[in-house]
Amino acid sequence: MVSLRLPFVCGMIAFAGAALAQSATPGGMPPPPGMSLAESAAMRFPQPVRVGDLLGREVLRPVESQEVLGRVRRVVRDQNGQIMVVVDFGGFLGFGTRPIAVPVDAMVLLGQDIEIVALTPKQLRQFPTFSPSGTTDVPDDTIIKVRLAKPSH
Amino acid sequence: MRSRFRPDLPPDASVLDDHKPLIRSLERRSLIRGGLSLGALVMLTGCDVKRPEAVESALLAISRFNDGVQALLFDPNKLAPTYPASMILRPPKFNAYYDVMDVKPVNGVTWRLEVSGLVADKRAWTLSDLQALPQTSMVIKHICVEGWSYIGGWTGVPLRLFLERVGADLRAKYVAFKTADNYPSSIDMASALHPQTLLALKYGGDTLADPFGYPMRLRTAVKLGYKNPKWVAAIEVTNKYPGGYWESLGFPWFAGI
Repeated sequence: MVSLRLPFVCGMIAFAGAALAQSATPGGMPPPPGMSLAESAAMRFPQPVRVGDLLGREVLRPVESQEVLGRVRRVVRDQNGQIMVVVDFGGFLGFGTRPIAVPVDAMVLLGQDIEIVALTPKQLRQFPTFSPSGTTDVPDDTIIKVRLAKPSH
Repeated sequence: MRSRFRPDLPPDASVLDDHKPLIRSLERRSLIRGGLSLGALVMLTGCDVKRPEAVESALLAISRFNDGVQALLFDPNKLAPTYPASMILRPPKFNAYYDVMDVKPVNGVTWRLEVSGLVADKRAWTLSDLQALPQTSMVIKHICVEGWSYIGGWTGVPLRLFLERVGADLRAKYVAFKTADNYPSSIDMASALHPQTLLALKYGGDTLADPFGYPMRLRTAVKLGYKNPKWVAAIEVTNKYPGGYWESLGFPWFAGI
């Protein structure tokens, strides 16, 4: 049984790889040109999520390798009332990170994971280090809406 | 150098001629062809895309054999693990053979569930008809063939109860589903009658959201994720193998957990 299953499973992976490669719109496509973040977010069925449930979650790059960009540290409202997710960004093995504030509309939820789809790592590196002055923390029990995507892998 | 094992008097070469047909059939039919197939299987595990048809059919035969063994091993009374409601992931994880932007929401007011095949009552069901049936809740793990999983909380009508209500032939082999997103699916009757197989209407206590199959989807704890069609529009009870979307692309049909 075991010896029969091995080629079978490997064969299945080969089939699956071929099938997934056909996907026209992988999970992390940035918004089409000329479309605002909010407009593209609306097309991705924003779902209610509790702010406290987002804290500590991994933030990934929307590519097949799903590199970890950072972790969610806090959720704030900026001076304009826009909800921003503060991510401990960059660094190496968790050291040398710095907080940056990313608009929630630039992100998608994929189950437990979060991806930044509307900004490249290069753009994120140029973000200023987050400063809490002028922002207010969004309480843990607040329900915010975050859009969805299918897994990038 | 002459081998020390070579006999002084070699056998008469004509002995080969006498048995030529037998030797040829041995070599061709049993040894060489068997060896070639094995070799080809090994090559396929290296993910060679240009696989010969013979290898593909060999793999599908192994897959069908696996399906049969899984069906034999399936215990209709064994329950999958359940979890506390506090572990429910909200919202659940979206997945489909297309991205979420291509989801076409279904109108729950005009939606009807068609019933066909080996059933006594082929009347179509409305959402409120289904909501009026006894409901069951379960917190179970959704396990995807891709390797990820999450814990979700589902409420709905046990498929067994529904099949009994419509007077389905419970000795039939298959329960097949058609969906609004053209994702046909089917499961074996034993799994359809399992107590952790639901026609799910709610997630985490709330009405199913559009991307997760509103108004109704299948949720079963005894199958991999791709055996849980969303936006179900029709159910058929049949003895004719119905297949499914991924199954027609080579995925195993039984896909039990």
